[in-house]
Amino acid sequence: MQETIKTVRNIGISAHIDSGKTTLTERILFYTKRIHAIHDVKGKDGVGATMDSMDLERERGITIASAATFCRWQDHEINIIDTPGHVDFTIEVERSLRVLDGAILVLCSVAGVQSQSITVDQQMKRYNVPCIAFVNKCDRNGANPQKVVSQLRSKLGHNAVAMQIPIGLEADFRGVVDLISMKALYFDGVNGEIVRYEEIPAEIKETAQKKREELIDAASLFSDELTEAILEEKEPSEDMIIKAVRKGTLMRKMTPVLIGSAYKNKAVQPLLDAVIRYLPAPDEVQNFALDLDHEEAPVALIPDPAGPIVALAFKLEEGPYGQLTYIRVYQGTLEKGATIINTRTGKKNKVGRVVRMHADQMEDIDAIGAGFIGALFGIECSSGDTFVSPGINLTMTSMYVPKPVISLAIFPKDNKAQTNMSKALNRFTKEDPTFRTHVDEETGETIIEGMGELHLEIYIERMKREYNAEVETGKPRVAYRETITQRGEFNYTHKKQTGGAGQYGRVAGYIEPTTSGEDFVFDNQIKGGLIPTNFIPAVEKGFRSSLAKGPKMEFPVTGVKVVINDGAYHPVDSSEMAFQAAARGAFREGYLKAKPVIQEPIMKVVVETPAEFQGAVMGLFNQRRGMIVGAQEEEIMTVVEALVPLSEMFGFSTVLRSATQGKAQFTMEFSLYRQVPQSIAEALADEYARKKKNEI
Amino acid sequence: MFKQEMILRNTLRRLGFDSDDVLPEGGFGAVLARAGVGKTAFLVQLALYGLLKEKKVVHVSLNDPVDKVNVWYTELFHRIASDEETTDGTAFLESLLPNRFIMSFRIEGFSLPKLKERLDDLSQQGIFFPSLIIVDGLHFAESRKADIYGLKDFAVKNRMQVWFAVQTHRDEDRKASLFPVYFAPFADLFDIVFELRSEHADVEITVLKGGKSERESLLLDPTTMLIRDRL
Repeated sequence: MQETIKTVRNIGISAHIDSGKTTLTERILFYTKRIHAIHDVKGKDGVGATMDSMDLERERGITIASAATFCRWQDHEINIIDTPGHVDFTIEVERSLRVLDGAILVLCSVAGVQSQSITVDQQMKRYNVPCIAFVNKCDRNGANPQKVVSQLRSKLGHNAVAMQIPIGLEADFRGVVDLISMKALYFDGVNGEIVRYEEIPAEIKETAQKKREELIDAASLFSDELTEAILEEKEPSEDMIIKAVRKGTLMRKMTPVLIGSAYKNKAVQPLLDAVIRYLPAPDEVQNFALDLDHEEAPVALIPDPAGPIVALAFKLEEGPYGQLTYIRVYQGTLEKGATIINTRTGKKNKVGRVVRMHADQMEDIDAIGAGFIGALFGIECSSGDTFVSPGINLTMTSMYVPKPVISLAIFPKDNKAQTNMSKALNRFTKEDPTFRTHVDEETGETIIEGMGELHLEIYIERMKREYNAEVETGKPRVAYRETITQRGEFNYTHKKQTGGAGQYGRVAGYIEPTTSGEDFVFDNQIKGGLIPTNFIPAVEKGFRSSLAKGPKMEFPVTGVKVVINDGAYHPVDSSEMAFQAAARGAFREGYLKAKPVIQEPIMKVVVETPAEFQGAVMGLFNQRRGMIVGAQEEEIMTVVEALVPLSEMFGFSTVLRSATQGKAQFTMEFSLYRQVPQSIAEALADEYARKKKNEI
Repeated sequence: MFKQEMILRNTLRRLGFDSDDVLPEGGFGAVLARAGVGKTAFLVQLALYGLLKEKKVVHVSLNDPVDKVNVWYTELFHRIASDEETTDGTAFLESLLPNRFIMSFRIEGFSLPKLKERLDDLSQQGIFFPSLIIVDGLHFAESRKADIYGLKDFAVKNRMQVWFAVQTHRDEDRKASLFPVYFAPFADLFDIVFELRSEHADVEITVLKGGKSERESLLLDPTTMLIRDRL
């Protein structure tokens, strides 16, 4: 492996729809010689214009949007990692973002900072990803890169600093002035592949000098050396400025802004230079794993190729040769033939074929070193699994998988969709442990379960988009559950005599709420063989089976401790079946005395909104039985946090969008179960009664 | 029952006030102490006792994010409630929290108009009408005069009680007044002023202004951060 970790950049390209992400990615691959011809998204034949970028990629059989595309620029290895287009807070998004070390934020020079740019930026901020900005489409009518720099400051709160100024704009856009080297850059050749360096045109020399001073001034905050040079009125060297800008960028306290037009093949190469100059190498980012032997305590990983292996499988792809597992190595070296352990399953795997993905081909390699990204064949795993060397027990993602809180019935539209749906579900459940699926025994419907409405919507959309599986959906159902609030005694005898061998079993004791949050506790205090030992497991099984459907409204029951302390048996008529039936009867008896209640999932909802919409957001929470925990002002945004019942959150994204002109975004995660208010309990009881009546 | 028990445990009664509602409506109270001595813990306990008496509390923090302030409430509540082992403290706390609202501002971005705007957002929509406001982290300085006087008018008009945390510093000149120089010009606005002083291993609570002259002195236990009697 010729590269050292210092020459690697793992980056993402994030952009608002239609700001030119596909075109920019295409040009990057062209200039780095990964592809040999440029095809326009909106081609002259009109084919491209009618297709979205995903279809275009499929048509051409390349994988611009593959999980990680490798390219090389100036002796550096750049891995462009696909950042998910959706913005909700799922495990998958979290995983993709943690694989990135830095990002390019692409903005349109006409439209400027749009709502989705805000969303994308918030994600980067949340995961502390350093970024550089690229103001694209400077050739378009109305292009105004300076306005975009100002918006980056005012709307996103970035310390945005222009690294270049344009030479001409709109139809007259000819090139850029690099404010560090103070040279004019023009892009010649059919595809702008030849970079020509010239003196700065006289008419913009003064502006360039002024902007350079602004740049040096901003950069000097991160370099004593540069500050000294300024104070001593010496001309700072290029290296000095680059180092200072790099330091500010890595601290996320400065955002270098570059400009250009990917479509017109102008100024993409300086952007690639900036990726190398300002975005971090993997060893400049601190990554942590969780130690499973010490209650998931965080452990800092050292990107040392000689250390024990810690690697994260962040994406799975079905290919003609089987499952391709994209993997990022954080520590150690993943070599062909090495033995690695999947922390989740504990299974040993031998590393077989190791490859590196290019845009349209794969290259076999011998090993993937710390900080590098590659792919493995023949490894059975799920997305998000951690692989380690034998002897260590670390995981990159928490092993805690929350239980789904919402479910939805899905119906394939035709036979073809049925087959594709199964394939899709199989893949998605492997990718995302919070997404589950099962077939309802009573109705025969396929039920999907997840962590929120948006979470399920995304998978339904992906089924359609990636698997061509059109499905219809039922109404979302909230995962209510039942529990008890006090102790309830039981003493139940199951006795049946219908000719032949009878059934007999008596079970007595009490049920009470669990104290430490366990779902179910069974405590056998039977003494003197009142119930023979061989029947005790049957009694426990009987109680456990009662939990699936609560006697109150048939919701699952949790938080119940069962204590049995008395009972009776018959030498002939008692059997396992009889004691299971007795336990079920005993549970019903005790349960109704134990003051059962219905609980609903409560979500922690965090809305990030411009301050002027804070009142509107609070109003939305209030209308939804939400309890507002607080509001926090952060620069130009305000973060409002509330606990809101999931049942009230359906359609929230639409309502929030209209209440905030699309400028707010929200995340939602399960927080706790809480007893439903009386009015809701009554409504649920009515619904249950209606359902029962219809069944009859 | 549990609630009553907790209200009775409000040790502040012993500082010589007629009731545990130590501030009048529209009144200002302050707790002075050096950094890290326990101002926030003290104020959160006042807020918790307010919540127990079914007051609506807005906690304005200029230092800490919402989550951190929330942790103060949870921790101190459980410490106060720890004697009542049989009661489900968590559920009880949950029943109190809808009456509490945390607002966190960056200190440089905080101003009275902004606070009023936020409170109006809440009250005009019928979401929240606070009767007790805790302000933690505001610097008392001449430049804040308009904000502080404005807040007094606002509190009087809306019959709110307002408690402030005021940070003091080592080697302050107190010859001219009981109060630090920067606080003295505002002292007349205040009905009650406490001071927390670190004395050996304890933190002593003294009353600089307000209350009756014959009173017991209290401590803020540095291990639990709870107000307690001097043993």
